[in-house]
Amino acid sequence: MSKIGEYTILPISIPPTPAYPKHTTHTLYLRLHAPKIPTENDERSLFVVNVPIDSMVAHFRAVFASLTGAGRVEDVTFEHERRCAVPSREVALVGKASKKRKRGSEGTEDNGVAELPQIWDRELRRSGSTAVVLFVDAKSVKSALKAVRKLHKSSKKEKGRDGAWPIWGAGIEGKVAKLGSARYLAHQRLQYPDETVLKMNVDAFMTEFNRMEEERAKREKRMRNVPDEDGFVTVTRGGRTGPARSEEAEQKKTEMAERERKKREELQSAGFYRFQVREQRKAEQGELVRKFEEDRKRVGAMKEKRGRFRPER
Amino acid sequence: MSPLSAKRRKLDHTSTSLDDSESEANEPQSTPNISEEAPAPPRPRHTKRTHDDDDAALYAGGIYKSSLFKLQVDELLREVAPNYAKRFGGLTEALHKLKGLIEGIEERDALSISDATEWLHKSHKIAVPFPDPKPDKNAAYKLTYTRPSNINVIGSYVLRTMVKSDSTLSVDMLVVMPASIFQEKDYLNYRYFYKRAYYLACITAGLQQSVQEEFGLAFEFLHGNELHPILILKPKSDATKPVLNYAIKIIPAAPQGIFAASKLHPTKNSVRPKDSAEHERAVQVPTPFYNASIQSDCNFESYLKLLHSALKSSDGFKDACILGRSWLRQRGFASQISTGGFGHFEWAALTALLLKGGGAKDHSVLSPGYSSYQMFKAVLQFLSAHDLVANPVAYESIDYVASRPPGPVLFDGHRGQNLLYKMTSWSYHLLREEARASLSMLNDATFDQFESTFIVRTSRPLQRWDCIFKLSLPSQPIRTPSCDHMSSVAEFSLRVAEVLAEGLTDRIKIFDIKGPETTSWSIKSAAPSTVQPSLMVSVSFDPANIDRLVDHGPPAEEKKKAAKFQKFWGEKAELRRFKDGSILESLVWSSGSSYSIFQSITTYLVKRHFGPEVAGSLKFIGEGFERLLLGSGPSTKSFETLRQSFSAFEKQVRDLEGLPLQLRHLSPVCAQLRYSSIELPSFSSGQPLRNPADVLIQFEGSGRWPDDVVAIQRTKIAFLLKIGSLLEEVDESTTTRLGLENEDKPHQNCAFLHVIYGSGAAFRLRIHNDREQILLERQIKDKSTDHRVREDAASALSVYKRSFLQLPLHTQSIATHCTRFPLLSPTIRLMKMWFDRHMLAGHIRDEVIELLVARTFMQPYPWRTPSSTMTGFLRTLLFISRWDWRVEPLIVDFTGTMTSKDVDSINTRLEAWRKIDPAMNRTVLFAASNHDKTGTAFTDNGPSKLVASRMTSLARSACKLVKEKDLELDPRSLFVASTADYDFVIHLSPHFAGNHQQKEASKPKYKNLEMHSEATLDIVGYQPVHSYIDELKKVYTNTVVFFHVELPGSVIAGLWNPQAVAPRPLKVNLAYSTTPAGVAGEENEGVIQLDKSAILAEIARLGGDMVSEIVVHR
Repeated sequence: MSKIGEYTILPISIPPTPAYPKHTTHTLYLRLHAPKIPTENDERSLFVVNVPIDSMVAHFRAVFASLTGAGRVEDVTFEHERRCAVPSREVALVGKASKKRKRGSEGTEDNGVAELPQIWDRELRRSGSTAVVLFVDAKSVKSALKAVRKLHKSSKKEKGRDGAWPIWGAGIEGKVAKLGSARYLAHQRLQYPDETVLKMNVDAFMTEFNRMEEERAKREKRMRNVPDEDGFVTVTRGGRTGPARSEEAEQKKTEMAERERKKREELQSAGFYRFQVREQRKAEQGELVRKFEEDRKRVGAMKEKRGRFRPER
Repeated sequence: MSPLSAKRRKLDHTSTSLDDSESEANEPQSTPNISEEAPAPPRPRHTKRTHDDDDAALYAGGIYKSSLFKLQVDELLREVAPNYAKRFGGLTEALHKLKGLIEGIEERDALSISDATEWLHKSHKIAVPFPDPKPDKNAAYKLTYTRPSNINVIGSYVLRTMVKSDSTLSVDMLVVMPASIFQEKDYLNYRYFYKRAYYLACITAGLQQSVQEEFGLAFEFLHGNELHPILILKPKSDATKPVLNYAIKIIPAAPQGIFAASKLHPTKNSVRPKDSAEHERAVQVPTPFYNASIQSDCNFESYLKLLHSALKSSDGFKDACILGRSWLRQRGFASQISTGGFGHFEWAALTALLLKGGGAKDHSVLSPGYSSYQMFKAVLQFLSAHDLVANPVAYESIDYVASRPPGPVLFDGHRGQNLLYKMTSWSYHLLREEARASLSMLNDATFDQFESTFIVRTSRPLQRWDCIFKLSLPSQPIRTPSCDHMSSVAEFSLRVAEVLAEGLTDRIKIFDIKGPETTSWSIKSAAPSTVQPSLMVSVSFDPANIDRLVDHGPPAEEKKKAAKFQKFWGEKAELRRFKDGSILESLVWSSGSSYSIFQSITTYLVKRHFGPEVAGSLKFIGEGFERLLLGSGPSTKSFETLRQSFSAFEKQVRDLEGLPLQLRHLSPVCAQLRYSSIELPSFSSGQPLRNPADVLIQFEGSGRWPDDVVAIQRTKIAFLLKIGSLLEEVDESTTTRLGLENEDKPHQNCAFLHVIYGSGAAFRLRIHNDREQILLERQIKDKSTDHRVREDAASALSVYKRSFLQLPLHTQSIATHCTRFPLLSPTIRLMKMWFDRHMLAGHIRDEVIELLVARTFMQPYPWRTPSSTMTGFLRTLLFISRWDWRVEPLIVDFTGTMTSKDVDSINTRLEAWRKIDPAMNRTVLFAASNHDKTGTAFTDNGPSKLVASRMTSLARSACKLVKEKDLELDPRSLFVASTADYDFVIHLSPHFAGNHQQKEASKPKYKNLEMHSEATLDIVGYQPVHSYIDELKKVYTNTVVFFHVELPGSVIAGLWNPQAVAPRPLKVNLAYSTTPAGVAGEENEGVIQLDKSAILAEIARLGGDMVSEIVVHR
């Protein structure tokens, strides 16, 4: 079977390890990339489902090199890398800024928004996650899929011999960081970055952050004077008087409401009128009945679980 | 009492009056004929009454503890009542037949003792069960048998106050011996008992032939009293009939008032010493036990009448008896001498007596209008308020002269008998202590104590006592000067009790001595065959005094006292001068654990007073649990050292100059700083603390913090760097390092600072900023943002609340209580070890385990606060096994200030959770405390339902094992886990397994090289296996559930998520690795399934050199 729905199946042969000395295959599902919002690169992109957790760009280069020849893969983007990493209040408000906060792979590092130093030497992929492989041209995509189909045909012929499938991690030994204890040792090292680097990093972040805050303040100031198409002016925070924090205002409001409520309650609980006393008593009685019903229900539930009322032996 | 409840009482009375007329039939005087005492048809009473009472329970607050309690009591009464018709099938006929048979036994002429014995032996092969000392063969008096004057059925069968139990239920049949066979002086020198024994043997002989088909006959001592042999008939089971699990006891009794009550007063002597006949009048040591044994034989019918009248006059009486019976049973008390000598008969008789009097100015203690619960509680109150050993109580007896027998006295003047004659002083103290504990828990208004009052079995030795030891009786009996009847076991226990009380003083709170239980024996021999009897002594420690090393005796000047002290202690007593100048007799014990001190004292005492033979038979049980804990020596010491380092650290930070903001406080949040980590925190200058202790630092509020969560996290880095450099300036030997964490969670704390002192103490500092909460809350509320962003913010908020708000409070509470209760810390550590060994520690947070143990200490009912690791651990285990977390929250009241309202609101919250999430996908356990009324702070993400059920089932099987093995339990067996239940097991290579790393870290080093090298600093916080497991968990969130052992940690086990295993059509975001399952052209084409082998291969690849083998079980 070479296809499931739109997906072409590409089994990858996994070499045995001393800890798990079984020869296994890992299944990749491939299809042409067709995102909801099309981009110019779609034609030469391949959408891969179920990438192994230790996938790196190098792995995919090697796999497709064995299928279509070397040098065809331009880049690989993994699932969570495409996701926006820093969703913050500003991000939602300022679309432009959000772009700048994206992961390093987008090439925005030079803009100066500081990502914290990496603390792993290579990242892991979530099990069953996806990736997009960008080829140099659309032709390479087609030839890659074709090569897969061909492999399927040949494997059908020679049943039981699937040694022809691409081997995971072949040809890249030494090019990627090692897993196992080496990875955690490296993590232990990377987790404590150099102080000066960190300091610079924080400074850069704060400068950028302050710049954006300023920008926002300016924009808001501008908006104060600009009526929208219906002729209304949006009221924004900060005016001639110093800016008050919105939560402070909220706090004040709740405080006032609380005070008001307390006052009212005091008046009521005093039982000034006869009807108040009567109502209060009624409420108490109702509470008693309610509680009793609750208790009865609870005991009933306990009864259902046998042995609840049987003394232990 | 409110007018409402008064109304209810009246109603109740009318509703049950019907039953009263029915029970009239059971009136004893009117029925020498048994037919009317036959079991009545199952009464409609319960169904009818509960219906009435259910509504009454609405207003039951005053009469019962609470309406909930009342409802539960009703259920209990319904549950424990045996089905008389079913259980005692055919009993009426059997009783009739027996009565007829006994009445038909032919009368025997007076025979001398030797003739009578011989005749019974020759013709019937029956031995007369004469009590010790055996009668003189040449005695002048003769033994006779004539027709009994009365045959009657008595006891709880008639009163219908039996409860279901696992042992056989017995029906008491009283055979009243005719007055004609006795003489006035027969009360003296066992003559009554010899005649009684002969009478019993005659009945046995008469019945033997005729009932052999149906019943098995045996002798038994009634309530273990050697003076009261009785005949016991057990229905023989055959193939056609169902097994009947009851027994009929035939009890010979004396007619009432046959001996003058004044002669059998507890202060009188009835056993004249043989050799000292000449000064008979001069020394007459009272024989209270002997006298009461005769009197109790005379009083059977009288007590039956008393109970009947109580039953008739008071509605609550019957249920109060059943409640009392259940209460006693759960505490291991029964009428048997070996089980305390206070059983349901004594309870019922005491209740009946208290209905008649006993209060001040001859007022009665109980009123007939009391509800069953009020009556039950009032009897407990009576038991706990009076010390009947020191101040005997007498009823209807003006002339009672207080004597001081060794046991408690409750003298029933009307019947001339001490009701508690079978009790010893220690069993009485135990009963009182239990009554006091139960009373205080019934007075607890916050929590419902129904289960601990009636359901939980509190008498299991390992859960009840801190240390238990066995010792065998010496071969040469130790004689006491008393001439009262006393078995050798009773005599020896009395001596042991005296020695222990004097020798252990306030080291122990309470103790109990149990002799062997007497069993029934064949009618062919006169007495049960004796095996080498041994005593079981159980002790409850006083944690404050148990490990005292020096005992102070009397000063040397007080010659008399000093001499007594020396005589008691022998060569161990030595004269010492103390710092304050006083010269005292004293004892010095070698230091060690509380157990080792206790053992050496006890062994010494036994050896000194009972000889090396008895001391050699000593066997101590109880220390095993404490020994399981890692690390030796006084455990609090290393925790204390770390606490001190923390205070030094705090002071240093406080004194820092140049901090950008004012410091508010530094709060510890680490298990190592609250005395509760499994491993003791050990560090030295060459060897820093492996896992730095977590500490939070909070600054005064400032408007200069940025208004954005991510920016706040970054700002913290700058702060930490500043603190680090300041600390390094202050003290050169300090090393600081800034580390990053939560790399993929921008909302959460991203940096921490390791502060490593020259002494080896290491701390991990994080900054707490309270603006985060507001900002995160705002983000969650903001509907305009992406839902994923809001989810992230919500999880960040829950992490924030847990680690910055709850943890400091929790740490403080646990630390405080660990110093208050010295045993809380070892118990927590042992409990954590149990969780860890069973691979649950990765799923259930430390704090939850701490709360579970803290509950055992804060709400210890039905026991008192644990005073040993064993009791603390086993009681916590028992709680877990009984905890139904689906409907019950765990509530820990640290300060004792919670009200029932708080508890109600926590319950309501749990119900609300269950309503929202009935499948329990999110929150499973609900652990609330004073600090966290939401109950989910530490159980928010885990354990899952699977893990929680596993916890319960493991605890259940552990408790079962404890119950089955009892004293033979090997504590280690509770900590052995099997990995067979898991789908696959990852074996770590020995180099990375916990054991090895520890060994490596503790390699001896040269003293002069003990300095922080880069290498030693690098290992601070380095735990590759942990990181590996964390990554596995993250990568396979939905696929595999991982289990692992923290220490020594050589395996990781995994279970496939059953939801993931099922085949399904291909979808892009499945979140686990798959492979096609279908075959082309068939129906299941396009279906995929979990690719287990590919995942295992990935796990192996990720583990690399750390994994030695992956074993797949299925």
